Amino acid sequence: MTLPAGDLEVHGETVARPPEAERKAIAGRSPTRIALDRLRKDPIAVVCFLIVVLFAAIAVFGGLIQDLLGVSTETVRATDVIHPVTRLPLEGPPTGTFDPDHPFGVAPGNGTDNLAVWIEGCRTSLYLATVAAVLSTIIGVTLGLIAGFMGGIVDSIISFATDLFLTFPFLVMALAISPILNDRFGDDTDKLRFASFYSLVAILVVFGWMGVARLVRGEVLSLREREFVKAARVIGVPTHRILIREMLPNLIAPIVISFSLGLPAFVAAEAGLSFLGIGVFGRESWGQTINAATTWWEDYPLYLLEPVLGIAILVVALNLLGDALRDAFDPKTRR
Amino acid sequence: MFAFLVKRILSGFLTIMLVSMIVYALFWYGPKSPALQLCVQETNGRCGPTSPRLADYEERLGYNNPVYEEYGKWVKGLVIDRTIMLGKTPYECPAPCLGLSFRDKTLVSEQLKDKFPVTVSLAVGAASLYLLIGVTVGALAARRRGTLADKLLVSSTLVFSSIPYYLVALLSFLLLTLNTSIFPDVAYTPLLDNPAKWASGLLLVWLVMGIFGATSYTRYSRGAMVESLSEDYVRTAKAKGLSARTVVVKHALRSALVPVVTIFGLDFAFLLSGTVFTEQIFDLEGIGKWGLDATYIQDLPVVQATSLVLAVAVVVANIVVDIIYSFLDPRVRLS
Repeated sequence: MTLPAGDLEVHGETVARPPEAERKAIAGRSPTRIALDRLRKDPIAVVCFLIVVLFAAIAVFGGLIQDLLGVSTETVRATDVIHPVTRLPLEGPPTGTFDPDHPFGVAPGNGTDNLAVWIEGCRTSLYLATVAAVLSTIIGVTLGLIAGFMGGIVDSIISFATDLFLTFPFLVMALAISPILNDRFGDDTDKLRFASFYSLVAILVVFGWMGVARLVRGEVLSLREREFVKAARVIGVPTHRILIREMLPNLIAPIVISFSLGLPAFVAAEAGLSFLGIGVFGRESWGQTINAATTWWEDYPLYLLEPVLGIAILVVALNLLGDALRDAFDPKTRR
Repeated sequence: MFAFLVKRILSGFLTIMLVSMIVYALFWYGPKSPALQLCVQETNGRCGPTSPRLADYEERLGYNNPVYEEYGKWVKGLVIDRTIMLGKTPYECPAPCLGLSFRDKTLVSEQLKDKFPVTVSLAVGAASLYLLIGVTVGALAARRRGTLADKLLVSSTLVFSSIPYYLVALLSFLLLTLNTSIFPDVAYTPLLDNPAKWASGLLLVWLVMGIFGATSYTRYSRGAMVESLSEDYVRTAKAKGLSARTVVVKHALRSALVPVVTIFGLDFAFLLSGTVFTEQIFDLEGIGKWGLDATYIQDLPVVQATSLVLAVAVVVANIVVDIIYSFLDPRVRLS
């Protein structure tokens, strides 16, 4: 709604318009707007956001970056870069100095380029975590909405399922599914690559939706009784429209927060499972590099530290960003 | 109290039943042929997916019967002795029968008896350590709220607890036992054989798990203490002239412990999952490593048993926590 220019007429009397600055001060701001403004003033959040953007850029433009730097994951002739006896790289770390052809050095044993593998690992991590976080948020929000809005027996069933899944440790499930996949697709590398990725996503999603569902259910329980929802019902708005147009916009905060805290959890889980040797197959992963690098620790610590720092920095940045988001959305926190 | 206990145990039992069915179904329908691995091993690889030998093995293991019948037999085996046909030889499996390991034909339940104390030692030691450190430090920080030490503590625990656990464990193993041998002998000795050796061998592991876990408990208990210290009854207690010690420990801390205990119950799943990493990294022969090793060689009965035991442990821990709850908080009425 826009006001006509000039002075206003109220009950036949002319009222002077308030000056421009005063009007701006009372302009309404949406909760999301307020949260983003608070976030922008939070130095930790800004730094973490930049770090996350950097990692995301590495993941998205990974192929391009590898071409630019002239590195690739393709196997090299090990005899060209690897010492025949110690199996350590001939040039670059740990024995030599910085090698511009291989900025992160080459892997001991097989001689592949560390930087290229690192970039591919970053891609796997972020890709898998994003897919898993999006799916688990969608499922959690849907189930939470239904449980909170419908109430009764539906609510009881969904809440029981939530509790059931919360008690079951997800690592155990990952442990159980890994040999089955190997058995089923072990002889077909392409299928195993595909299956191991999506079954990992599935496990993470199946054990990742409960937090969101609980939060959303709780919010919906209180939103359901609010006047605007009752009003919408009275004027005959269909249920699906109430859920999507009236409820969902009010659930932005819990959804954004649980999505942003889900991402680091999934990044950590992917790398952890790969470290145990039950993660993705046929893709580079930071966890696999760590697993391979532990045996070289005493001669070549850098080989282990590269993926460790990758995971640690990304996960910490994502977590702190999620925490900052939660604080920004919470009107009770003071900074 | 009694009615609550019965209800809680019944629902826990229902959860365990459901979990066992899921696990059973997973290993029934999951693999191409559940007997293939055993058959390949027994016949030195002369067993293809279509060979009559495999059909023979499947028949003997009961995979041609309906799944509910075999599940029934399996459940019955938990209370009554049964005989299992592995290949041509029958094996006695006394109750509680969890099947026989495909690898060495030993009883899974017998192996479990060896592995269980290791995992329990790890979990109990670590949990008591992190509850002790976490609650003490959290309570102290809450009493000195707003000081520099408090702020430093809060922000450092936030960062530290964001780092994935397995990275912390791996780096401390590499740095403290391999490189510097500050803790040279990480090993499990049964408690009854030599209590001193038991404690010294697991000390590093407890410290790593304890300090890492304590970071989040410090935050929880600090938050809860800050809240309860500002309650009216704490002021009343102070006004009555009780000593500061009594006020803090008996009045404030007791109610602050309630949310901490809740989180502890939920965290038990994490603790057990964490032992998979811990046992793998520190090379301890507990349930986690046992299950993991079994996934590498597709020893299905062992993986099945591991999943089940860990899930049961989590369910039981949750029931215990609910009972502790009622003792801690006089406001919680169990009915």
